[in-house]
Amino acid sequence: MTEHSLWRFSRALHRAINDRHFEDIEALIDEDVEWAIYGPIDMFPFLGARQGKAAVLQVIRQLADNFRVRRFERESIMLGVDSASSMLRYSLTALDSDKPISLRVAQFAQFRADRLTSMRVLVDTFDLVEQALGRAIHLPKMTSVG
Amino acid sequence: MTVESLNRQRVLHLLDAFARGDIEAALSCCTDDVDFLTHAPIDVLPHLGPRHGKAELRELWQTVWSRYQEIRYKAPHIVAGGDDVAIYLHGYFTKRSNGRIVQFDMTVFYTFRNGQIAQIREIIDSYDLVQQVLEQEIGPLIVGAATKED
Repeated sequence: MTEHSLWRFSRALHRAINDRHFEDIEALIDEDVEWAIYGPIDMFPFLGARQGKAAVLQVIRQLADNFRVRRFERESIMLGVDSASSMLRYSLTALDSDKPISLRVAQFAQFRADRLTSMRVLVDTFDLVEQALGRAIHLPKMTSVG
Repeated sequence: MTVESLNRQRVLHLLDAFARGDIEAALSCCTDDVDFLTHAPIDVLPHLGPRHGKAELRELWQTVWSRYQEIRYKAPHIVAGGDDVAIYLHGYFTKRSNGRIVQFDMTVFYTFRNGQIAQIREIIDSYDLVQQVLEQEIGPLIVGAATKED
């Protein structure tokens, strides 16, 4: 039984972010990959949609420039034949401020011939912004319209 | 039909029921002790707080329907494995107050027990959602608050 593409990709991604070793991840990304981590791109330029291997590798380099993965835990995982989805709890360190950041992340990945063809990631972005700011964002409670 | 295929159909059935406003049909897909959690700012969106049991989930879904007149979903990705189903959704919720459409992406992870949904976990691009609900960009509010603190 061969290993699911997700495991190989996950190991390579973490190696790229923490060790700045990009050769493994480069071999696991399709030339026409579609990639999106949704969130406020004006605050976090590495968020947003990307198309193609070069653009995705650039994002991964930006992630490596900004964060270190301290630990992560998969809370839920589903593996299809060429797809995978998981909910993860990440503990990161923001390298510019040395602040800890804790995130819950959902990822949906699709593979073809062991290479990543699509990645969509959702994060509780309001929480991410508050942690990056180091304070709460005070807004009115939306008790009647939200 | 495999358990995975059945569970996938059950999730789509729940979403169809909820989108047509049939909350009781949606609740019938869930266990009596269904546990619901959205990872979203509940100090801003208090109705999205944790819910336990059908009565609390009914109250949440009724609150959502009291604020939106039309709810539509597109589900481009759905993955099932064992007792779990994960779905990636584009949501389009039309406000009753002014007809504006709140458009957002969300992921939902369902866990089944004996053919019913026992756990629901949602992750939303919450910063964007809050801006659309508020109909206001948050960025200037953050900058304004920082300026006052300075």
